[in-house]
Amino acid sequence: MRIRVDVAACTGHAICRREGPEVFVLDELGFNVTEPGEVPPEKEGQARRGAAACPEQAITIEE
Amino acid sequence: MRMERARNDPLVVAFDHYSHRSLQESDRAWDALRRTCPVAWTESNGGHWVLSDYASVAAAFRDWETFSSARTDPEVSSLTIAPNKLPPLYPEELDPPQWHPLRRILSELLSPGAVERLQPRIEHWVSHYIDEFIESGHCEMAHDIACTVPAAVILEHLGFPEHEWPRISGAFHGIGAFPRVSPEFARAVADMGWVASRVSEEVALRRGSPRDDALSFIARHDVDGRPMAQEEAEAVVMLVIGGGVDTTTALTSAAFVHLARHPDDRERLRRDRGLLPAATEEFLRVYPPARSHARTVAKDCEFGGQHLARGDRVLLSEVSACHDERAFPAAGGFVIDRFPNRHLAFGVGIHRCPGSHLARAQFVEIMNQVLDRLPDYSVDDEGIIEYPNWASIGGWAAIPARFTPGARRSPPEP
Repeated sequence: MRIRVDVAACTGHAICRREGPEVFVLDELGFNVTEPGEVPPEKEGQARRGAAACPEQAITIEE
Repeated sequence: MRMERARNDPLVVAFDHYSHRSLQESDRAWDALRRTCPVAWTESNGGHWVLSDYASVAAAFRDWETFSSARTDPEVSSLTIAPNKLPPLYPEELDPPQWHPLRRILSELLSPGAVERLQPRIEHWVSHYIDEFIESGHCEMAHDIACTVPAAVILEHLGFPEHEWPRISGAFHGIGAFPRVSPEFARAVADMGWVASRVSEEVALRRGSPRDDALSFIARHDVDGRPMAQEEAEAVVMLVIGGGVDTTTALTSAAFVHLARHPDDRERLRRDRGLLPAATEEFLRVYPPARSHARTVAKDCEFGGQHLARGDRVLLSEVSACHDERAFPAAGGFVIDRFPNRHLAFGVGIHRCPGSHLARAQFVEIMNQVLDRLPDYSVDDEGIIEYPNWASIGGWAAIPARFTPGARRSPPEP
């Protein structure tokens, strides 16, 4: 699984980190700065929940 | 032109969001409009578009280039359809590029990390205000908890003296809580003028001699490399107060009433606090405090099959979007562990509520302490008083409650 964050669409709700604390990286203002890349299998659930919860639908999961 | 289109257009509806006098009446009217005509024109209040389905509301919030929140008349609020003469609220009433540097200030002031640092003060004030009534076995939940806590947290952070907090928060609460023709409403309007003058005085003081408070942080912040102007700082502070006091109040009040009327939900939450984050989002979805916001069409466009003309006013309904059956399964019910829950209570796009992190933190702390300290509270249904107007900010004027008396956590202050 890979995740990709549309940083232009992120407005800093910071909900993704609540659902995926080990997957999503936020800057000091709460904006998603997660690098695109592979998600380890044990963290795929967190990635999926974070993507599903994003109010801006700024997180894409590629499997 | 507008009248011509309005007469011929099948999507003209009879709809006046200012006519709804109760939560239920407002919710039902939005449900009916959304199911029949999610992108509609009404001749009410001077004529305006009404967007009520999730997809349209979210798209319009995100498209700030088309749906501007900047004022077209410097005296008149852009955020309500009614032409209310109110002090400006920045950055909400600005479009980019002016929006950006002022928004940055609020993003810093109310970031997730800043809210974590405020957590001890949140815990303190929730504990303090519950202490005030916990031994008596009764309280008025709207005022004694829902109003006092958010006001104390934000006004202490800003740096207003404690003796002024009730009058400041009371002005915002009173504008919503009382009928437009009443002595209480007139007093709230007068107090709002006093709030604006106090904000002006305190901003001027901080510009000269800063203190360790948020007023100074705002007043002394630079704006794209130049010093913040006095009027800009006032408009940012007014937004922080206005966004901070009566909105979290309304959400918390809604939860108090909901849990009193739905003991199963209260019992589940009381036993399993792990449900609180999801429940918080569901309270926000079902009872969004900010129910609608206005925008102005900045350029002619096609939207939802309609032609919108530059200068048209548009009402975006957060509450209707939050209740949209096409976006939320079982949208009419309260699903305590709903997931996902991409509600629009805080809006989306560039103007999404910058206070959302603080609002959630306060709500969770209040609910935790209420469920710990007055878990058996019951509400006097006859004594519940809703706001008389549910157009913009809804809420409750009174929620009288009784409970088994408990012990204070701290001794009374001398």
